[in-house]
Amino acid sequence: MSNNALATRVAITVVALGAITTANAADFDWKKFQGKTVSFLANNNPVSQALLTYKADFEKLTGMTLKVDGYQEQQMRQRLVTVMNAHSDEIDVFMTLPSREGEQFAAAGWYGDLSAMSKNEASTDYNFAGLSQALLKAGTFGGKLTSMPMNIEGPILYYRTDIFKKCGVDPPATIKDVEAAAQKIKACDSTITPFVSRGLKPAVAYTFSNMLHNIGGSYMANGKSNLCSPKGKEALDTYSRLLRDYGPPGVVNYSFNQISALYRTGRAAMSFESSNELRTVMEGGERLKDTGLAPFPAGEAGQVPTAIGWGMAVSAYSKQPDAAWYFVQWATSPDIQKRMAVQGIAPPRPAVANDPEYRKWIDEQPVRQQWQAALDVLATKGSSEVGYPIVANPESRDFIGQAVQDLILKQKTVDQACADADKGLDALIAQK
Amino acid sequence: MAYAANAVTPDRQRAELAALSAPAVLFTLAMIAFPVVYTVWLGFHAFSSTGRQSFVGLANYSKLIADHEFWHGLWVTLALYLLSLALQLVLGVWLALLLFHAKRLPGIVRSLFISPFMMPPVVAGLMWLVILDPSIGAANYILARVGLPPSDWLASPTWVIPTVAMIDTWQWAPYVALIVLGGLQSLPPSVYEAAQIDGASAFTTFRRITLPLLLPTIVTATILRSVDLLRFFDIIYITTQGGPGNASNTLNIYGFRVGFEFFNIGYASALMLTLTAIVFGVVLAFNRLRGAVAW
Repeated sequence: MSNNALATRVAITVVALGAITTANAADFDWKKFQGKTVSFLANNNPVSQALLTYKADFEKLTGMTLKVDGYQEQQMRQRLVTVMNAHSDEIDVFMTLPSREGEQFAAAGWYGDLSAMSKNEASTDYNFAGLSQALLKAGTFGGKLTSMPMNIEGPILYYRTDIFKKCGVDPPATIKDVEAAAQKIKACDSTITPFVSRGLKPAVAYTFSNMLHNIGGSYMANGKSNLCSPKGKEALDTYSRLLRDYGPPGVVNYSFNQISALYRTGRAAMSFESSNELRTVMEGGERLKDTGLAPFPAGEAGQVPTAIGWGMAVSAYSKQPDAAWYFVQWATSPDIQKRMAVQGIAPPRPAVANDPEYRKWIDEQPVRQQWQAALDVLATKGSSEVGYPIVANPESRDFIGQAVQDLILKQKTVDQACADADKGLDALIAQK
Repeated sequence: MAYAANAVTPDRQRAELAALSAPAVLFTLAMIAFPVVYTVWLGFHAFSSTGRQSFVGLANYSKLIADHEFWHGLWVTLALYLLSLALQLVLGVWLALLLFHAKRLPGIVRSLFISPFMMPPVVAGLMWLVILDPSIGAANYILARVGLPPSDWLASPTWVIPTVAMIDTWQWAPYVALIVLGGLQSLPPSVYEAAQIDGASAFTTFRRITLPLLLPTIVTATILRSVDLLRFFDIIYITTQGGPGNASNTLNIYGFRVGFEFFNIGYASALMLTLTAIVFGVVLAFNRLRGAVAW
């Protein structure tokens, strides 16, 4: 066969394949489950709020009805646990945080298996391979894909450029720099809280994990809790010292609500909080021009930011998993995730970052550019380990929070706090 | 006679009434009995974190005896109960006397005095959370204005119980006042006229006449508040979630977290049944007291 003939055949094949792909996309029968009702248990957070602004589009596209049951995070979980323990089919799709409850829900058999559906029942527009592989891995338990990522998030450092400038402080590059900067700011302006992060017991693990990993610590070693290792103690001591010496009074009751309010009202110079809080922090526009954003500064192990994401799971007890999957694939499709991204929901698809419409939104404000840069670091270097990688992960977070609070309130020494935590955690790890 | 033939005998009437009311009675019994029986059944089972269940007999109850958090929760519950109840009874009676004697007080002022308990506890909790915020709250601002040092309020392990008791008292002392006010209005005026003729002072009249006559009403208010206070949940859940550390971790909060955050429904049921038994015990004791002080 001549080169020309070969080239022609290859060209025809490529065109034919392209035509088949286009035909597949066009042929995908979105109306397959027309008339059905899919129930969705949602956490009423910015991610679901952004998604549900397009609810009517889904109903129009598929002819299905979407019944939304929305609660605050804690209440959503309580409802889910009640429904799942009763093996009820009243929830088809639910939001889940694999880093927190993934092990537990997977072991309980509450997740439907999305492995096959995500490959065989997806529109070609879906681009499964375009989703963050790290988040897909975080949602896979025992080889079973249990949820599709809705967003990517993690704690990042928000800092006030005007205060740093006034006090002659450079943006921190290391954890030691954070403490030095806090010290200088405290001396320079006593009306400002130099540093704030989570101090509320059940909420501490989210931000503390980043500190622990940056310092080079790990939660477990040889099947045992490892908080009393030198790195573990260093992380406990540093995190609690920063909050005790430079945090606001009453920081032991601080979670994201209080932290964002304190920073937004101009009362904190540095805040270590979720990337998801960007929209809340920028509300009113006061912090738009004087805020810098960065991943949490490096420790001895460099930067190992916490990167997690909400996922959408199909209930193992749903009587219509195929219809439920249609909602999941629509909600986590490139088009919807791009539309959510311009509402400030960081997309779990790296390609969205290059989309012209999204880039335009990012380029409108320098703070958004820094936000995207921080998210890129989260996506590439992030660890989804928040608390102990065990079935009883939620309970393990309590022990971490207790140790940090004991140190903030000076109720124990580091040795006592970590030993007490390790004792409780070892018992938890031993549970099957 | 046709009338005599159709006459309904008392027995038949009783049977008909029983048959007609049976569905309602059965439904009500089922509604009350089912959750209790189900909770008792759950209390005999262990649930792993993954929801697997197994029959364990009384193991949850023996675990409870050895559980430091249970005893701590019981201590917090009782401390909060006794402090709040004492404050609410003293302030409630005082407020009732004030409203009873201030006959000219406009209706709107009276309504304002007793309005806090009409507020949903979640709203009250959020409102006090903002007021007591150590950084931006009004409470520390006022302390600073009068030259007093700031307090950490809900963030201090030492002050969290008195602070929560204060919030609950703000909300529920007016409720006690309303009950006591009703009691005051029903006291016989002849006794007061006799005391006046005998030349009794206002304090002696209160101590020797008003207070003893009011005791049954006060005990009723105590029973109603005891049931609520021993199951203390909403204000704590909104303000501290049992913290700082576990300084405000009441039995109800502890049981809720064990059940709905750690998914150990069996142990949580055992905890809640124990709390229910405590509430029943206290109510029974006060009920006996009410019988003793009745006049």
